[in-house]
Amino acid sequence: MEANLEWYIGLSTILFTIGALGVLTRRNAIIIFMSVEMMLNAANLAFVAFARHHANLDGQLFVFFVMTVAAAEVAVGLALIVAIFRSKQNINVDDLNLLKG
Amino acid sequence: MALTLLTFSPLIGVALILLLKPFGRETDDGIRGIALISSVIIFVVTSALTIAFEDNGALQMVVDVDWIPSLGIGYRLGIDGLSVLMVWLTSFISMLAIWSSFKAIDHQVKQYYIFMLLLEVGMMGVFLAQDLFLFYVFWEFTLVPMYFLIGIWGGKERVYASIKFFLYTMAGSLLMLLAILYMGIKADTFSLVELIAVRDLFGADEMVQNMLFLGFAIAFAIKVPVFPFHSWLPDAHTQAPTAGSIILAGVLLKMGTYGFVRFNLPLFPDASVNFAPLIAVLAIIGIIYGAVVSFAQTDVKKLVAYSSVSHLGFVMLGIFSLNEAGIQGGILQGVNHGLSTGALFFMVGVLYEQRHTRAMDAFGGVWKAMPVFSVLSLVITLSSMGLPGLNGFVGEFSILLGTMGSPVLGPAWIYTAFATTGVILAAVYLLWMFQNVFMGPLDKPENQKLVDVNPRELAIMLAFLVFIVWIGVAPSPYFNTMGESVAALMDTAITPALEQAATAITSVAP
Amino acid sequence: MNTFGIAPLILIFPIIGVLFNGLAGRRFIEHDREIGERWSGWFASAMALMSFAIAVSLFFVLRGNEYHAETITLFDWFNIQIASWGMNFHIPWAIQVDTLSVTMMLVVTGVGSLIHIYAIGYMHGDANFSRFFTYLNLFLFFMLILITGNNYMMLFVGWEGVGLCSFLLIGFWFEQTDEKGSAVNVDAARKAFVANRVGDLAMILAMSLTFWTFGSLTFDTVFAEALAHAGDDPGAAVVYLPWMFEEESEAIEPAVAITHDEMMTDDHGEAVDDHGEAIDDHGEAMDDHGEATDDHGEAVDDHGEAMDDHGEATDDHGESKGHYTPVPVDHQHASGGLGISLGAMLTAITALFLIGATGKSAQIPLFVWLPDAMAGPTPVSALIHAATMVTSGIYLIVRSNVLFELVRESGYEMFGLISSPTLVAYVGAFTAVYAGLIAFTQFDIKKVLAYSTVSQLGFMIAAVGMGAYVAGMFHLITHAFFKALLFMGSGSVIHGMEHGHHDLHGHGHGDDDHDEDAHGDEHHAEAHGDHFDPQDMRTMGGLREQMPITFAVYMVGALALAGIFPLAGFWSKDEILAHASSNGFHPDGWQFEFIGVYALLSIAAVCTAFYMGRQLKMVFFGEPRHEAAKHAHESPPTMTYPLIVLAGLSIFGGMVLNLPYLFGEHDHAEGFYLMLEQWLHHSITSFSLTEAGIVHMPHTPLTLSYMVAGLSTILAVGAILGAFYGLYGNRPQTADEKDPLESTPIWWMAVLPLNTLYMDYLVPVFNRVADWTAFRLDWEIWHDMVHDKLIRDPFVGASKVASEIWDRKGVDGVVNGVGRVANWLSGVMRLSQTGFVRNYALSVFLGVVLLLAYFWLMAS
Repeated sequence: MEANLEWYIGLSTILFTIGALGVLTRRNAIIIFMSVEMMLNAANLAFVAFARHHANLDGQLFVFFVMTVAAAEVAVGLALIVAIFRSKQNINVDDLNLLKG
Repeated sequence: MALTLLTFSPLIGVALILLLKPFGRETDDGIRGIALISSVIIFVVTSALTIAFEDNGALQMVVDVDWIPSLGIGYRLGIDGLSVLMVWLTSFISMLAIWSSFKAIDHQVKQYYIFMLLLEVGMMGVFLAQDLFLFYVFWEFTLVPMYFLIGIWGGKERVYASIKFFLYTMAGSLLMLLAILYMGIKADTFSLVELIAVRDLFGADEMVQNMLFLGFAIAFAIKVPVFPFHSWLPDAHTQAPTAGSIILAGVLLKMGTYGFVRFNLPLFPDASVNFAPLIAVLAIIGIIYGAVVSFAQTDVKKLVAYSSVSHLGFVMLGIFSLNEAGIQGGILQGVNHGLSTGALFFMVGVLYEQRHTRAMDAFGGVWKAMPVFSVLSLVITLSSMGLPGLNGFVGEFSILLGTMGSPVLGPAWIYTAFATTGVILAAVYLLWMFQNVFMGPLDKPENQKLVDVNPRELAIMLAFLVFIVWIGVAPSPYFNTMGESVAALMDTAITPALEQAATAITSVAP
Repeated sequence: MNTFGIAPLILIFPIIGVLFNGLAGRRFIEHDREIGERWSGWFASAMALMSFAIAVSLFFVLRGNEYHAETITLFDWFNIQIASWGMNFHIPWAIQVDTLSVTMMLVVTGVGSLIHIYAIGYMHGDANFSRFFTYLNLFLFFMLILITGNNYMMLFVGWEGVGLCSFLLIGFWFEQTDEKGSAVNVDAARKAFVANRVGDLAMILAMSLTFWTFGSLTFDTVFAEALAHAGDDPGAAVVYLPWMFEEESEAIEPAVAITHDEMMTDDHGEAVDDHGEAIDDHGEAMDDHGEATDDHGEAVDDHGEAMDDHGEATDDHGESKGHYTPVPVDHQHASGGLGISLGAMLTAITALFLIGATGKSAQIPLFVWLPDAMAGPTPVSALIHAATMVTSGIYLIVRSNVLFELVRESGYEMFGLISSPTLVAYVGAFTAVYAGLIAFTQFDIKKVLAYSTVSQLGFMIAAVGMGAYVAGMFHLITHAFFKALLFMGSGSVIHGMEHGHHDLHGHGHGDDDHDEDAHGDEHHAEAHGDHFDPQDMRTMGGLREQMPITFAVYMVGALALAGIFPLAGFWSKDEILAHASSNGFHPDGWQFEFIGVYALLSIAAVCTAFYMGRQLKMVFFGEPRHEAAKHAHESPPTMTYPLIVLAGLSIFGGMVLNLPYLFGEHDHAEGFYLMLEQWLHHSITSFSLTEAGIVHMPHTPLTLSYMVAGLSTILAVGAILGAFYGLYGNRPQTADEKDPLESTPIWWMAVLPLNTLYMDYLVPVFNRVADWTAFRLDWEIWHDMVHDKLIRDPFVGASKVASEIWDRKGVDGVVNGVGRVANWLSGVMRLSQTGFVRNYALSVFLGVVLLLAYFWLMAS
């Protein structure tokens, strides 16, 4: 059975939802980070699927951008997490409420 | 221009005093010297002005510069017979007041003399201003230095006294300000001369005229002070330093009587005629009341202070007898009171500096210890008492004569008779004071240590005495400085008002 | 100005004396007591003598000028134009030399010089010797101003000036206290001044009225105007003062408005016409009035000419008439306007003069100061309180004789009872009797003389009140002689007694030089601790042997005062009595008022003789009743010589000055009889009015009335003998013995009803009132309560309310409220800021969802 667009979209949605829920519910900064990556990749999947469906390379192009950004993000984000970990000895985001009004 | 210079010339003294510090020469004596010299120069200038002054009934040396043209406010100065003696008196009294405080003031000397000179500016301005707005500015301005003079260098209750002085006089002035604004806006000018010319504009309605009259009258009556408004006076006088009392009695009170002559009579002649009996009654009550209250005092300075109420009663009575003798006598008596009472305050000051008390029963037999001082004090006392041949009598008699011939007081002889009892009472309280302080046995050891006057004190007393005797014996030059102006005032304001009042009676008569 | 030009010198010399002694006298004395005193005393005396010399020269100058008065104007004093009433208040310093003023000058400077010389001895050793002479000269100066001035104002200057000197001299020993420690001398001095000031009040009122009535205060002008307006009938002329046009005035007539207006306008006549038409009823009256004014103008002119007789003085007069257009005195009939009749106005003026005179000349009701004034040194009592100052009231009335006679002529009576000159006479007569009786009860040698002075002044006042001006002046002069003599004699006695007392206690016996020095600073003070009073007659007695000269002259003075023939007092007192009796028992019809005066004065004369007899007896006769009296001795020559001179004057003064015709009217040798009468005729204007028939003044008889003289002499001798051999025959034997009169009603006089009234009732009441007014009314009520409690405190209270409730809770509330709302809001808002990233993320999601929903909705 040939995989049609709906399946890809569905998978992308599921991945995105899992990522979003992960971001919203998890406490561990690394996991949140991973969830964010998952959401990004869900978006990538959607891009690729639509590019295939429309026979247009624009979507593929965007995926490269996203991956580049994600890589940069990982670099910065992990550095931040490491720095936070160094000062706080943990990476539970609930403890990071310095912005609380 | 000359008058501007005259008014503000004390500021030169102020500037010099302020310059001492940058030049590193600031000493108390230096400050005193500069203050005295500048006041002496001003006195010499005003004396020359007074001598050269020829009264022709009109304003002279007029300065008229626009200030706030849109409101008709101008910087207007001028001098005439009604003010020339007052200007002279201001410079004379200021000079002696400054000189008299050389020893008495020993802290914050610089501020003290600056305030004295500023006060002189204010007083000069009051007597020279010919614009109601400008007048009001100067009028209120005099309060400030006086407030500080009492409040900083005064006696124990000085803060109370200075605030009372300030608020009391200020409260009265506000009504005057209202009246001034009313007239100024209505006539579109604040120039006194022009306002007098168009006085029917706001005087046609009797009610309005009476209200305006009262607005001015209350401000001036508080300053004078006319009988029920005198309550600030004993406080201010007893608490003020000697020089402050001298200026207060000598000049500041005269601003009130001067105001009546300068503003009330020419601006509101009909109201003046209407209110003359009332004011005369208050004046007579003041004469008797002030004298009686004086008599009971145990504090010499307070006694002298209350005597002012009595004396100023005479002045008011003279002015509101509304004839030449009374008005001229009233103006001259203002000068006389400045001299006699100023001298009396100085006398009290001399005693106070040595004994640090003013209680009458602390003294007695001072004559034995201080013969020269006592003789001079006797003459001053007698002048205040109105002994003929000294200045007090000249003014008092002119006033009583004017009262007897007053066309507005109804049965004037009754007024005169009551007012004349002031002459008896003056003898009663002043001789009582003199007896208790100077005569009797010299039985208190503190008094035996009193030393007679030093040259500075002698010179000040003699300066007072020269004029006390001069005015007493030959007052004609003084009367001549104001005769024409008073005549003009009568011609242009009072006589028409009297005629109008007479017509009113005619129309009522059957 | 010919030789009258020397007149101002009479004032200048005393002033030089004042300056010399006032500025330098003390230095001289401090430098060398003996020489300094001589300089100080003699310089002052020399100045007095120089003035006397000027007075004498003026006498001759005046004679050379045929008695025409002359006025020397020095410079202006007052000069106020009163244009609104067409008057000029012009008062020069001017000296009037006429026979009256020269008479007074002679008396004042003559007696004054003697007293100056006497005082050199009397005041010897006093610590304030030069001050004393300064005052004496100053007194002389003011007294001379009083009598030389040509106007009432100058008279008043002198009037108050002598009052001042009196004050200073009574309080000369101001340190002296009584047992209770109050300064009695100063109290006496103040009492004198204040009592005099009561009289001065009347003087001021009288002068103001005079000025507004006559437009001047110069004697000649006033009298001329008064006469001009009086015309033939002073009762009819009407006077207007400016205030007599008010509605409130007594008689409200329709003419009010007219007269009012008319006086306001410069031109009399026109105004009258205008209104004459307006009000028909009064038209005629007004026309009359207009004419009358014209007549009146002429009358003034006539008078101006008449005044030429009186010498150059009319120059002034003419001048002042120039600016004196709307004449306030008018011929309109009294009932027609609001003015009052000239008679009534003059009555007011003269009655006020009388009050002034009662103050200065110590009459009922103001005489109470004079007895106390004896606290001053004795020369002062002699000079001021006997011979000169106290007579100024008489001088005033004599000077104003025209006014008094016009009142008499007008028939105007105060309250319909008594005319003012008659009142003057009765005040004098009653005072004479009353003070005479009080004198009975005194033990102080000077107090007796003081009351005697009051009594004698009563004689003079009575005389001038009856119109016997010359008699009054005559008595004034003779009284100056013998009363000065008596006072100085009593001073000599006191001096002697003090020295006797001093010898007794301090310095053993006979150290004469020393005792001269000792009396001095503590003169009169209780030098020795005990309460010996050298003035108490009960401690005296038998002094005729210790002090023969004093005794002799005192005897002369006492007999002269008692009116014993032929001493001075006899002639002068008799002239007064003769005047009273001859006019009282006049053939044309009895004048009741003069009979009363005659009776009272006769009683007073008896009293005089009696108390003088008593005094002579107690002081000089009998045995010494105190050790001091035994040791008393005669005074130095500077004191006794003036006494001898005065004794001579007291003996011959009466006969020489004004000897009446002894045997009918036509036996007189020219110039010897009635010299004073002829002399004063030239300045007492009302005499010439009598001759001209304008006034009907009661005439003093020119011939000695044997009946009156005999009767009074018999009474006087009887009274003296009665006192001598009867009542005080051989009493009192000791100083403690009671006076025989002490149990009689006469003694009640000693309680001094008037003095008690003043000192025990009036003064304490005044003090009480003054205290209440000052401390309760003015301070506690007006100052503390009204100003502080009712104005300041409520204000402070209100400002507290304002600051705490309104401001803090109101204004601040609003301001703070805004903040608080913001705060609360932010509190609410901050809840959203959890700081949890996921929350922020959630909000991002929610935002996305909302955006999507929005787009979706918009799309659909």
